[in-house]
Amino acid sequence: MTAELELRRVSKVFGSGPTEVQALRDVDLRVEAGELVAVMGPSGSGKSTLLTIAGTLEEPTSGEVAVAGREVSRLSRNDRARLRRHSVGYVFQDFNLLAGLTAVENVALPLELDGVGARAAAASGLEALERMGLSEQADRYPDELSGGERQRVAIARAVVGERRVVLADEPTGALDSVNGEAVMRLLRAACQRGVAGVVVTHDAQLASWADRVVFLRDGRVVDQTGTSPGVESLLAPGPSS
Amino acid sequence: MSVRHALLALLSEGPKYGLQLRQEFEARTGEVWPLNIGQVYTTLQRLERDGLVESDDTEMDGPQKGFRITGAGRTELHEWLRTPSDDAIPPRDELVIKVLVAMGVPGVDVPGLLQVHRHRLVELMQRYTRLKGDALDDLGVALVVDAEIFRLDALIRWLDAADARVRRLPAPGAVKVGRVAPGPRRRLAARR
Amino acid sequence: MTSTGAAPPRGRTSDIGGVPARRAVMRWAWRMFRREWRQQLLVLALLTVALVATTVGAGLAANAGYSLAATFGTANRLVTLSGSDPSLAADIAAMKRGFGTVEVIEHQRVAVPGSANPIDLRAQDPRGVYSHPMLRLDAGRYPSGPDEVAVTAGVAAIFNLRIGDVWQQLGHRRRVVGVVENPLDLLDKFALVAPGQTGPSDQVTILIQATARMLDAAPLINGAEVEIRPSTPGASATVAVLILATIGLLFIGLVAVAGFTVMAGRRLRALGMLGAIGANDRHVRLALLANGAAVGAVAAVTGTAVGMVAWFAFAPRLEAIVEHRIDRFDLPWWAIATAMVLAVVTAIAAAWWPARSASRIPIVAALSGRPVRPRPAHRFAAMGGVLLLAGVGALALSHQTRPLLIVTGIVATTLGMLFLAPVGIAGLAAVGRRSPIGARLALRDLARYQARSGAALAAVSLAVGIAAAIVISSAASQAAAAVPSSRGTLPSSQLIVWLSPHGGLGGGVPELTAAQLQTAQTQVNAIATSLHARFTLALDGALDPTVPNVQGGPGDSTAGKPIVELGKAHHKVEGGKNVTEFTDRESIPLFVATPAVLAHYGIGSGDVDPTADILTSRTGLSINQSRTSSSGYQLIGISGRQEGGHLRVQMVKLPTFTSDPTTLITAHALHTLGLTSVPVGWLIQTPQSLAAAQIEDARRLAVAAGVSVEARPTQASLSQLRTDATAAGVLVALGVLAMTVGLIRSETARDLRTLAATGASSTTRRTLTGATAGSLALLGAFLGTAGGYLALIAWYHGKLDVLRHVPVADLAVILAGLPVAAVTAGWLLAGREPPAIARQPLE
Repeated sequence: MTAELELRRVSKVFGSGPTEVQALRDVDLRVEAGELVAVMGPSGSGKSTLLTIAGTLEEPTSGEVAVAGREVSRLSRNDRARLRRHSVGYVFQDFNLLAGLTAVENVALPLELDGVGARAAAASGLEALERMGLSEQADRYPDELSGGERQRVAIARAVVGERRVVLADEPTGALDSVNGEAVMRLLRAACQRGVAGVVVTHDAQLASWADRVVFLRDGRVVDQTGTSPGVESLLAPGPSS
Repeated sequence: MSVRHALLALLSEGPKYGLQLRQEFEARTGEVWPLNIGQVYTTLQRLERDGLVESDDTEMDGPQKGFRITGAGRTELHEWLRTPSDDAIPPRDELVIKVLVAMGVPGVDVPGLLQVHRHRLVELMQRYTRLKGDALDDLGVALVVDAEIFRLDALIRWLDAADARVRRLPAPGAVKVGRVAPGPRRRLAARR
Repeated sequence: MTSTGAAPPRGRTSDIGGVPARRAVMRWAWRMFRREWRQQLLVLALLTVALVATTVGAGLAANAGYSLAATFGTANRLVTLSGSDPSLAADIAAMKRGFGTVEVIEHQRVAVPGSANPIDLRAQDPRGVYSHPMLRLDAGRYPSGPDEVAVTAGVAAIFNLRIGDVWQQLGHRRRVVGVVENPLDLLDKFALVAPGQTGPSDQVTILIQATARMLDAAPLINGAEVEIRPSTPGASATVAVLILATIGLLFIGLVAVAGFTVMAGRRLRALGMLGAIGANDRHVRLALLANGAAVGAVAAVTGTAVGMVAWFAFAPRLEAIVEHRIDRFDLPWWAIATAMVLAVVTAIAAAWWPARSASRIPIVAALSGRPVRPRPAHRFAAMGGVLLLAGVGALALSHQTRPLLIVTGIVATTLGMLFLAPVGIAGLAAVGRRSPIGARLALRDLARYQARSGAALAAVSLAVGIAAAIVISSAASQAAAAVPSSRGTLPSSQLIVWLSPHGGLGGGVPELTAAQLQTAQTQVNAIATSLHARFTLALDGALDPTVPNVQGGPGDSTAGKPIVELGKAHHKVEGGKNVTEFTDRESIPLFVATPAVLAHYGIGSGDVDPTADILTSRTGLSINQSRTSSSGYQLIGISGRQEGGHLRVQMVKLPTFTSDPTTLITAHALHTLGLTSVPVGWLIQTPQSLAAAQIEDARRLAVAAGVSVEARPTQASLSQLRTDATAAGVLVALGVLAMTVGLIRSETARDLRTLAATGASSTTRRTLTGATAGSLALLGAFLGTAGGYLALIAWYHGKLDVLRHVPVADLAVILAGLPVAAVTAGWLLAGREPPAIARQPLE
């Protein structure tokens, strides 16, 4: 298995002097294709910064980031944009879709930005939407969709084409538990098809969908769960009723 | 979970053998609550003694013995379904007690301790979530697993809140856990 | 990997995504424009209004002017021959040989009882090769036989004629068969008969289409006068409209910068999202530039369409005003197209800066909707200072004549003010740090959102600057005029009634019968009485009876002999021939030294040298009749007999106002040169300076009598101009303020709600809006006035003393009144937030 996303001793400092904030300290993270990793921590623990650095939206103060096999520090601003539209998909908490575009256009947008013709991009977009069970809603505008549908469209956009890394920041934060569960199911399914996924959240229920949970505290990785054992082992130490 | 009423509920669908009852119980709860066969037969005997179920053959004990629900049994089942569960009485929670105790013991890294428990709880939750993820259509399993997940979630949240409170304290030595007001303590002890 | 149906074709993807990426970004921009065009209504409306004004203005400019086709038709040469020329037929035949197609129009004068001006009886072919645009049939039909005539509505009214009536004139009975007009000159009063039916004509005009070389080759015809059609003058007015439109668009561009900055701020999260998806800086810029282009294009199309509708509706009314028919489709399409392109360019240019800033915001900051910290104001200040200096320098170097430098200077000065604005705002925020909460918040917001407040301030400053420049320069020229000097055309207590309907001595003066002269004298007396005149002095001119008649000016069917004037000769060689040119501007009117005139100016008969030819108050006037002389003045309007003669000039005490009799020709000269004396006008002296209303009354009386008046332009009109400029500047500045303050405050609606939630009363809200408007107005007034003064100092750098006269009152109104008005308006209007503004902008 190759690591699609790798952070090595990544630190991030905001501001300087008395207002200096150390958001991340020497964080190591490796996410392989097909793996969904949850980064869990309370607010202010630096988990959103971790995500923006992993997604090449921000540069680390020190340390190295490799996305889809490419060292980010060696890429120009334009190359990073290209990497994002080609290999990285984002899902944010509430604001994900561009208001002026229909669902399918939103999904097809990264492909079009990458130079794929409108027709081919729309076909790919429609396919991604179908996988999310949203083919009916393809031609609706974001404000005509429910919150859960919007997040599903966002996931479709995050995995459309040949995406290799999907990054999600509290993707179910604005949803009720049933819709949130549906979103997480889809995200997990996307990862099982071979994408490396990272979800950052403070919510244990959300994190529990991941194959591995990384605990972040004050910008440091303090602990992580191993790849989970099978269901069978549940029964062995079963809680006494 | 009252095994007694769960068996009555299963029998209300029709006559069943003891072994069959155990299998169905476990299947419907996603094997979250394991049940041994002895427990099943003890419960069935008590039910029969109280006249809530009746068996078709009194001579033959064992897995082949069939049971069916009586009229009194149905009445009892419906009564039970409508009785509110007693949530007003707080259950004694081992985790809470452990953390409380840990704060009084010198040299214990409380946040570290909290993380050990959190780690364990999240791992458990991951297993339940996996179970839920694999069982798409089984409503019963989903409900039982959800109940467990929400229970675990509540514990994890409590850990997070405790963590935040501990962090807000100026120095570790200043924790005054030993002087918890006697009233609640007595009550906790009395509830067993 | 997933099995996507249409995997992206790797080979075709370029680094910036190529055409599909641009198309996708532009599609998004266009959809956003369609969804949220209401939020950009301000910029849209301003651009649309500018385009409406430009379209209508271009139509006016192209059609309001007098068209030379009214006399030339489609020909380019107009040859006038006297009707009494014995060799007329031979001359026409010669011209036909020389130029091919010629068109002959015969004229006969028909006197009108009680009027100084006769009407023209014209024999002209309605299907004439060159003259067909000069005729239009309004009713009936064109005359065809010897006894038929068609008349214009004006002639029909004078002689009370209707179709079917019989009109007896000059011993000829003709039946009126139609009503005609000269569509290019509705004032042209004439009667039309079929070609060759005028009887003995007074004058013949021949239209030809000839090149200069053909004219050179053709034999000269004795007594013929050739008029050359100048190149079309309409374009310059259109260019002026375009220049005005450009200045207007400059204004709108500044407001648009503020509008687009607000819009970019509103879409910040979406732009961040675009970046997170993988759009690069160029894509983000393109999205905002495309929005600008959409705004510009929609405004251009809407504005032009509305302008055309307005023009089509307005054109019939305009016909009555400009006195000629208008072809509604005869619009300067190139100018309208240019204005449309300019509107789009303005919108794109205005979107450029916000687009550039937005593309530089870090994606994470954009996603969270956090605006970037404004750049320190002093970095703009340096650039602003340099631009301002460059602009002022360019204005100084232009020496008031070189258009490129003038335009560069104006644009650079404006941009300089734009860049200096943030410094002013930053300074104001520093000052306001200790003020109460409402004012403090307002000032801090202005400083925090530098881009939009800077653009708003620049627009206000520009409005004030233009008004201040007008006010200051009009004060300067008024001060110059108020000096009791002998400069100017006339003293303010004098008025001249000219017998010629177009004033002055230019063109021909009609030869009047004694009865007509009497009529005119009566009218003049009426005018004099209405003005309580002290006295009326009859002015005579000299004319050479041997010179052929000349046609009157536009709208004038009279013909007469030219009055002799003094003209400054400019010799040049054209086509191998020596040509002498005179211009109206340099000519000196020459009046006859009648005893009455001499007596009026206190010149006794003993004071005049009996051999003197010319009496003048002008120093250094030398008159040299030699054809080859390149200096000095010559008598013009006389035949060539007196060539070589020298005229004696005597300096006497005569007035020095240029329209007054400054130069007289003596009876001695009249005699030696064989000139005759004719009345040309009357000088009316009033006890006090004439008011504008009095002049207007006199003008009306004069027009009715077919004569004209001339008076000094009243000083009141300059004061009026100044007041108007102050008012207009304050109004425009207030309008710009209202728009931009509304824009700025609508963006802080959230703050207002928070304020309301924390218990702030409507007073706080009023203070907030009032302080925003007031501080922008105060800064704008100072910057604008300073800029206006700077520009004028550069403009008048050779003669700075004219700027000594400071129009204190007007400037005080601008500097103090504008801020006070702004604060008051802000205070009054902000009491209740309209729900549309209070509502959070959707995103």
